[in-house]
Amino acid sequence: MPEPRRYTRTHEWMAPSDTPEQWNVGITDFAQKEVTDVVFVELPKVGRQVPRGGEAAIIESVKAAFSIYAPVGGTIIGVNQELESDPGLLNRDPYGKGWIFRFRPDHSADVQSLMDGPAYETFLQEGGGHPEHG
Amino acid sequence: MTLPLSPSHIREGGHMVDFHGYILPVRFSTILEESRFVREQSGIFDISHMGHFVIRGRDAQGWVDRLVTSNLERVPSGKALYGHLLTESGGVIDDVMAYHFGRERVDLVVNASNRSVDGQWIREHLPAEASFLDLSADHVGIALQGPGASGVLAKILPDVLDMKRRETRLLNLGASGEFLVARTGYTGEDGWEFFVPSGAGVPFYEELLASGKKTGNLLPCGLGARDLLRLEMGYPLYGQELTTELSPFDAGLDFVVSRSKGDFVGKTAVLGQDGLPVIHDGHPALGGFVLKEKGIPRTGCLVENASGIPVGRVTSGGYSPRVGGGFGLAYMERSFLADFRKGEPGFVRIHGNAIPVLFRKTPFVSTALSEVAS
Repeated sequence: MPEPRRYTRTHEWMAPSDTPEQWNVGITDFAQKEVTDVVFVELPKVGRQVPRGGEAAIIESVKAAFSIYAPVGGTIIGVNQELESDPGLLNRDPYGKGWIFRFRPDHSADVQSLMDGPAYETFLQEGGGHPEHG
Repeated sequence: MTLPLSPSHIREGGHMVDFHGYILPVRFSTILEESRFVREQSGIFDISHMGHFVIRGRDAQGWVDRLVTSNLERVPSGKALYGHLLTESGGVIDDVMAYHFGRERVDLVVNASNRSVDGQWIREHLPAEASFLDLSADHVGIALQGPGASGVLAKILPDVLDMKRRETRLLNLGASGEFLVARTGYTGEDGWEFFVPSGAGVPFYEELLASGKKTGNLLPCGLGARDLLRLEMGYPLYGQELTTELSPFDAGLDFVVSRSKGDFVGKTAVLGQDGLPVIHDGHPALGGFVLKEKGIPRTGCLVENASGIPVGRVTSGGYSPRVGGGFGLAYMERSFLADFRKGEPGFVRIHGNAIPVLFRKTPFVSTALSEVAS
């Protein structure tokens, strides 16, 4: 089965949910290792429209605050409430229980412009992984 | 600048960052894990970026006493003393530890960010006959901190276990030079700090680390944990709580300025003729706060009063499970701080939201040391 998950240069992932046209968004394993010790997640308001690259959520870790950007333009249609009580899910299970919000892209085709798994791996290996945040 | 312990940090998985030009680990595992470990067991920190100066001569103690705000004359030989170097107008050039070894020798340990400025300022203010030696270029600084520190040290350097809090010794290593050992630290825990020529310092660090790891009660720790631990104690960090624009009294560090000693640089700017602190109403004052809601305040966040008017700025902020959430230090207008202390509401602006905060007296946590008020 092909890898359906898509990735951004800012280390978000986007994967199809169980409902058509709806995608879950989270941060990659690389990103959670950089961020470490997530303490809070500021979840977006459901119904908000976010342009591509617009700030959709904020992750507060002990080290710093990290903005989470919308991988493509779209609408927030749900958030992972479990992160309110257990933000550590983002560190423990970034691709699973650590999803951040559910998103409906304005144009499904936009998703195809994002990197697939092998492309993201290459991106990381070529130095796309930003250095440690101070 | 790469420091002598760098190969060890890279081997141990340290995430290296540039801190004022020195390449140091910010963390090995995570900041929360490392800081918890130091509070409960022990941690070892590379502090080789600190500057180490040796002042010698006929009256080294008197000469240094005229440079620092605290009273070196009242500290017995073999004791460490915390003090500030001031500008003529009373601003803080740096905060330093003075290690006093009798009238003819005083060692100073200064902040990495001020190493060259301090060195030059000190040399300019010492009499021509004073000997000044900068050992920083080829030394290793190590802080071993935590309730388990003595247990780690017992296997490696048992001779120093009988040292009292703030006691300082010089151990002669023969051809390898001298070991400066002090029972001091920047974490609020019991512990020791060492400044050693790198030839002896690197193997000493490796021995402590290997021994402590074998028994499972020592972790290598980075700058991130060091910063969180000092902030939990309300200890100032130069460049954040201390600057040349503000005085030790503005920072709430009244104890650092001796009112009974003779002249020192900046004295007339910070103490009036009556010997009382000179307070400038236009200067803000430092205070601690805790968040009533979730969030993490960061350096530079605005502090606001109930009307939403900015009345201050966060100098250091963080999150600690031991404090119970977000907390920090901020410089605030004096009139606001007076009311804030009495329970007046305050707010810190975080990502556009005004988060309510309460005044909190430092230290934010109690440790074995804060309880005995050493």
